[in-house]
Amino acid sequence: FAGLADVSIAEDIPVEGEITIPVGSHSPDEDCSTLDEPVRDTIMRDLKAVGKKFVHVMYPKKSSALLRDWDLWGPLVLCVSLALMLQGGSADSKEDGGPQFAEVFVIIWFGAVVITLNSKLLGGTISFFQSLCVLGYCVLPLTVAMLVCRLVLLAGSGTVSFIIRLIVVVAMFGWSTLASTAFLADSQPPNRKALVVYPIFLFYFVISWMILTFTPQ
Amino acid sequence: GSPPQALVDDTEDVSLDFGSEEELALRKAKIRHPLATFFHLFFRVSAIITYLFCDWFSNSFVACFVTILLLLSFDFWSVKNVTGRLLVGLHWWNQIDEDGKSHWVFEARRVPTRAASTEAEARIFWLGLIICPVIWTVFFFSTLFSLKLKWLALVIAGISLQTANLYGYIYCKLGGHKSTSRATSHFFVTADVPKSKYRVALPATALNRHVLTR
Repeated sequence: FAGLADVSIAEDIPVEGEITIPVGSHSPDEDCSTLDEPVRDTIMRDLKAVGKKFVHVMYPKKSSALLRDWDLWGPLVLCVSLALMLQGGSADSKEDGGPQFAEVFVIIWFGAVVITLNSKLLGGTISFFQSLCVLGYCVLPLTVAMLVCRLVLLAGSGTVSFIIRLIVVVAMFGWSTLASTAFLADSQPPNRKALVVYPIFLFYFVISWMILTFTPQ
Repeated sequence: GSPPQALVDDTEDVSLDFGSEEELALRKAKIRHPLATFFHLFFRVSAIITYLFCDWFSNSFVACFVTILLLLSFDFWSVKNVTGRLLVGLHWWNQIDEDGKSHWVFEARRVPTRAASTEAEARIFWLGLIICPVIWTVFFFSTLFSLKLKWLALVIAGISLQTANLYGYIYCKLGGHKSTSRATSHFFVTADVPKSKYRVALPATALNRHVLTR
């Protein structure tokens, strides 16, 4: 500091400057305390967050706190169970339903990614992973529909069972679409809502179609 | 009388030695977090082994697919949330603030805690982190060229999950050297963070004193 040794400022003149601080700095403080938390606490915390989201899908109310805390565990579990239940359900499956399992997986994840990209390109404010999270969790009603369909098919596969399955699948399809649009459409400018809702409608329609046309061997 | 007193003194001495011996052993140990080190490698290596030898374990494609996918997911979660913090003191996560904007935060711990990581642990961590995505990339090409396309989705999932962790931790490591430090950790936040600016007024006397006394 030799060069500044002869700098002198009058005592009563305030010196002003600017400091930039990232706004999100308050939560790393509380994360510092979670840095050393035992692993069991971390696991329980994440499990509770996943459970809360499942409940929110069944009773969709717009809740920004839910959206902020995204995770992809729920979609993974739902995707795997749906794909497992759709096993061996088409007339020309030769092996153990291998290709179909991967197909369901690819359809769900690729479809969700495409919808997310579409909504982001239309100027949506929701983030990429939040959108994936919402779309994945809203597959829950359709997974329940698949379960019901499989149970109904155990009883028989006549016209009555088809009508029951149709009603259940349509109801769950409506529930899924409404739940996901409740979360996603609000992040869009109002004149673009239909452009965002339509791909979501298609996405759940394709999944419902796979569920409805499922016939066991 | 005096024997009970001597007994009390003896036990006090023993308890002090025991405490410091334990700390000494902890400091000397090459691996201070054996469980974290084990799990860091366990899920990744199990996923690779299951993929290579799935025909021996089970005839069913679905069972292998689900098993490997679950192993990859557990590996991603444990490396991101547990082993990174314990073995090398790095952590990265995604945060969404009230406006709905998302940003990625990368943290590197500077002050070593009581059970700070050793060099052996750090070496195991980074080797495991780097080698496994390379292996999954090799699997990608072998699957593509041998046309076993039903495994392609799984291999792509494996590559994405493991590369995400690799990228996140490298960013933490590099970011820790560049950004300004807080008391205990470096925080390195991506550029789209909304920053708030504060105007600070300092009395000039304080400034003079600080500058002139070097």
